[in-house]
Amino acid sequence: MDFALMWQITPLLLEAAWVTVTISVLAFILGLVVATILVIMRSSAFRLIRWPARIYISVIRGTPFFVQLLIFYYGGSAFGINLEAYTAGLLAIGLNGGAYMSEAIRGSIIAVDKGQNEASRSLGFSRTQTMISVILPQAAGLMIRSLGVLSVIIIKGSSLVSIISVVELTYQSQRIISSTYKPFEVFAVSAAFYLILIYGVISFVDWLYNRYTRYLSH
Amino acid sequence: MNFDFTPVWDNIPTLLTGTGYTLLIALFAAIISLVGGLAVSLTTLYGKKVFSYPLRCFIWLFMGTPLLLQLYLLYFGLGQVGILIPALLTGILGLGIHYMAYNADIFRATILSIEKGQTEAARSLGFGRMQTLWFFIVPQAIFRALPQLGNNMIIMLKDTSVLSVIGVTELVLNAQFEIANTFRPFEFYISVAVIYYFLNLILETSLNRFEKKLEDRR
Repeated sequence: MDFALMWQITPLLLEAAWVTVTISVLAFILGLVVATILVIMRSSAFRLIRWPARIYISVIRGTPFFVQLLIFYYGGSAFGINLEAYTAGLLAIGLNGGAYMSEAIRGSIIAVDKGQNEASRSLGFSRTQTMISVILPQAAGLMIRSLGVLSVIIIKGSSLVSIISVVELTYQSQRIISSTYKPFEVFAVSAAFYLILIYGVISFVDWLYNRYTRYLSH
Repeated sequence: MNFDFTPVWDNIPTLLTGTGYTLLIALFAAIISLVGGLAVSLTTLYGKKVFSYPLRCFIWLFMGTPLLLQLYLLYFGLGQVGILIPALLTGILGLGIHYMAYNADIFRATILSIEKGQTEAARSLGFGRMQTLWFFIVPQAIFRALPQLGNNMIIMLKDTSVLSVIGVTELVLNAQFEIANTFRPFEFYISVAVIYYFLNLILETSLNRFEKKLEDRR
């Protein structure tokens, strides 16, 4: 083990880790927006609005993220669109994550007891009021958990954008390896960054969940 | 916008060979991950500390870092210490070990979820510790784990696409060979996505049927 090298490359990888963080956060936000639209579309009364959302979710979840990424980056030329690597990566992660998130959100809404809806409706609340002030607060606990899991998947998936040459943690590691020929040391440092990020997010989600459910029980 | 799917049609044999490899890789990796996952979970729960602590560490490490990083580490890291194995084998091992950690985590949770009464009943009927575990706890735990394990296998089938980056000639890499000849990235990647979609659909429906059949038998 070459500890001197590991110490030397840490600042370089820290910079790259920041790119991993920002692309993951932006993709998560994009995913949330997409997911919200999909959930609303799927609860529509019109088949013509429901079906596109269902097809979108089925296609995204039925094909590998890696292939979607390649389509975004290399496939655009067929339409005369050439996306930059970072944009293509961000779009691919966000649009992919959105489909999974919409299922997570829908799942936690469905998990709320039906009686809650009926009781609230019979008390005279409208559909929207029931959703916002009765169903969503109860679904939020489960939603925090499942969206938390998806955020971890997004961080891990962001390593794949190294293939289209976005300079994030995995790409930077490879670049350093090609000049030092010390894969083990370099990957050990970048693995440490991933572990900090991922277990950091997991403990934050746990904390949020506990805090939220404690608030509910009062 | 001009699409031309004739190059895809002309090179269908290459894509089908790739599909064959993809299925083969998924099959072997699934076997490794399931058998290994059960063994790891049993060791972490009941094994001696010398074995259980390192294995817990293994689960923690492999669930906290991206698959791509682990593949690179296996592929380049083993080369650094002078062990050279073919890409196909590295890919199967890498994928199998990655999902071994996830499956072990699932098995661990389901084994712990089996009621204590089961152990007590078996023990008071005169079964030994190992017999109780093997004939009573493990079969029930496997049954309970099936939906989640199936889910993991579906995710794994899609993740085989990542192996293309270390040079495993599966579906995506075979498509990339042909893209290099024909310069039709969009058409090829879309066709690849369609193939994955159908593989995924077949796997999902057959897993559902299998689960239903088992449920009926009980």
